[in-house]
Amino acid sequence: MGTYNFNWHVVQDNLPQLMHGLVITLQISAVGMFLAILFGLFLATMRLSQYKAMSSISYGVTQVSRSIPLFVLLFWVYYGLSLKFGIKFSEFQAGAVALGITGGAYMAEILRGGIMAVDPGQQEAALAIGLTRFKASQLVVLPQAIKIVIPQAVNVYVGLLKGATIVSVIGVADMIYVAQYVSLQTFRPFELYSFAGIVFISLTLSIAGFAWLLEKKLSHGRVNG
Amino acid sequence: MAESKPAFDFQAIWDSRLILLKGFGIAMFSASAAIVLAIVLGLIISLMRLSRVKPLQYFAFCYTQLFRGVPLYVLIIWVYFGLAIVANVNIPKIPAGILTLALLNSGYLSETFRSGILAVPSGQREAGEALGLKRREITRFIVLPQAFRIVVPPTGNQFVDAIKDSAILSIIGVPELMRMAQQQANVLYRPFEFYTVAGLLYLLAVLIVSKFLTRLEQKLAGYSKSTKKVKPFEMVQDTTGSEVVA
Repeated sequence: MGTYNFNWHVVQDNLPQLMHGLVITLQISAVGMFLAILFGLFLATMRLSQYKAMSSISYGVTQVSRSIPLFVLLFWVYYGLSLKFGIKFSEFQAGAVALGITGGAYMAEILRGGIMAVDPGQQEAALAIGLTRFKASQLVVLPQAIKIVIPQAVNVYVGLLKGATIVSVIGVADMIYVAQYVSLQTFRPFELYSFAGIVFISLTLSIAGFAWLLEKKLSHGRVNG
Repeated sequence: MAESKPAFDFQAIWDSRLILLKGFGIAMFSASAAIVLAIVLGLIISLMRLSRVKPLQYFAFCYTQLFRGVPLYVLIIWVYFGLAIVANVNIPKIPAGILTLALLNSGYLSETFRSGILAVPSGQREAGEALGLKRREITRFIVLPQAFRIVVPPTGNQFVDAIKDSAILSIIGVPELMRMAQQQANVLYRPFEFYTVAGLLYLLAVLIVSKFLTRLEQKLAGYSKSTKKVKPFEMVQDTTGSEVVA
């Protein structure tokens, strides 16, 4: 068994491309997160609606989009939808949409939990002083719910960031894609993927640590916890 | 575009049913084998984390952080291609996939088990000591059986995650459901139908497992003092504990 000679120069030489790939990864996960928040807010609002039918539909959609693997969604959106319905997504758009669908289901549950965690007395008080239901949500309930929701939302983002590594399978030029491309030319896949792995581990761990700090800080001022 | 073709052609799916079902079987087998291995690994790591020996604690901590931080895509390439290149170990595709899923899930499960073990009231351990049991005996006969009930729901959720994650094994060519769906979709040029059916099969598997878990939890809750019911899908703990009447 011969010893393997590591050659980390490969990483150094291709650092600009790898970093450009990282920027794409961050972009796609950010757009995905934005879509996830919109989708999640929509689902959570429906779920908490007074109408049983709305609530049931939202529950069903949440369960379905949470149960289907991101990998399958990605192919379904990129290859499936475009061929069947002629919706032409770019690779980036398809990736962001798939991330948004998966993340949206998690965000819906988190937002619902956050809204429900706000004392019902708050909404009753807001309604009693003459605010409309919409105004009461906007000015009284949501600002309090956000405090509870933010740390968990950051954790969802960490999940999406890790999930975003698979978008290279449909051809998004993210960091994994660059690592793959360069390793085909240099025959140094181990060094390149290890570098990508280390970058991702540092990113996810520091963001998760940030979420933990945020949670400690935000729970400080919470009245009903 | 494809006006001449029928809008939805599920005949192609029906013709490929055996291939898809075989893929489905391999996916389920991989996820199940991985979770069993992950439970064993996770338990070992959680006990190391809780041990009094400092180096074991540090090792367990790094292990957990590593496998919780690394994306599955990178891990699978490390295990399948990396080990082959660096250590000259050639693992066949399916075992490599199972090992990868097991490593990833063991990182999460070790944390679950650790909190489960810590959730057992310390009076139980003290009572064991008072009875003159050895440390190992206390862990084995008093703490772990009680921790078991606590960790069933999160472990079940991890199994659900493993089923979903198994789709990524197609990257290294494991002939599981997604790989088969991709192959058939390319050959028969029916991506929408194949990916929809693949998605539905994963959905079915996840729903069946969740249903089974809810049953199991109810059964376990019957034995335990705490009657608090934890639903497998409820990630968010409702801090008020009150249901909003819809």
